[in-house]
Amino acid sequence: MNNRLKALRAERLWTQQDLADRAGVSRQTIHSIESGKYDPSLPLAFVLARIFDARIEEVFEP
Amino acid sequence: VLVTRISELSTRRTIMEASARSRRHGGWTLGGAALLWFLSYFGARGVIESVAFGSVWVYVAAWTPALPFALLLWLLIRGIREADELERRIHLEALVVAFPLTMLMLMVLGLLEIGIELDRENWGYRHVWAFLPVLYIVGIILARRRYGQ
Repeated sequence: MNNRLKALRAERLWTQQDLADRAGVSRQTIHSIESGKYDPSLPLAFVLARIFDARIEEVFEP
Repeated sequence: VLVTRISELSTRRTIMEASARSRRHGGWTLGGAALLWFLSYFGARGVIESVAFGSVWVYVAAWTPALPFALLLWLLIRGIREADELERRIHLEALVVAFPLTMLMLMVLGLLEIGIELDRENWGYRHVWAFLPVLYIVGIILARRRYGQ
């Protein structure tokens, strides 16, 4: 699953750790999601979308 | 609205910092419990090897490591409950590697035991159990590589 996490994070000048802290997950989890090696669960995908004030389909696409 | 937002962010950051502190503290506690268990295991082996064969102290010493192990188990369960979803998946995949492989090894040893005399110095229970944690660690390494960590 593709995602725009890295781009959205870069727009806000956040580090992976900043995003991880906001989402309540580890930095490694953010790294794995960004690199496309791990697809987050639906609840985590919603959390990440809300952090960026975006709809889930604006952040993740199959 | 701005004050509310700042308050929310401040509260969230405080919770996250507390959570990070808790994780760091938990890691040290887990390490301490593992060390305690490790020491108790080798202490028990030392006692068992020094007392008479079949002595009641053999039973006492053999069960002694169960106490620090219970603490370790409790901390592991707590750690998994506090872990994020990817960390849980990594541990699940590690168990999926370690558990069946250990089961396979025990099955093969069991079959071999029917037909040959297994050397207790190499294939006794005290050696075989250690394969499970070793394979579990191998499983964690493989899973972490799979998820690019």
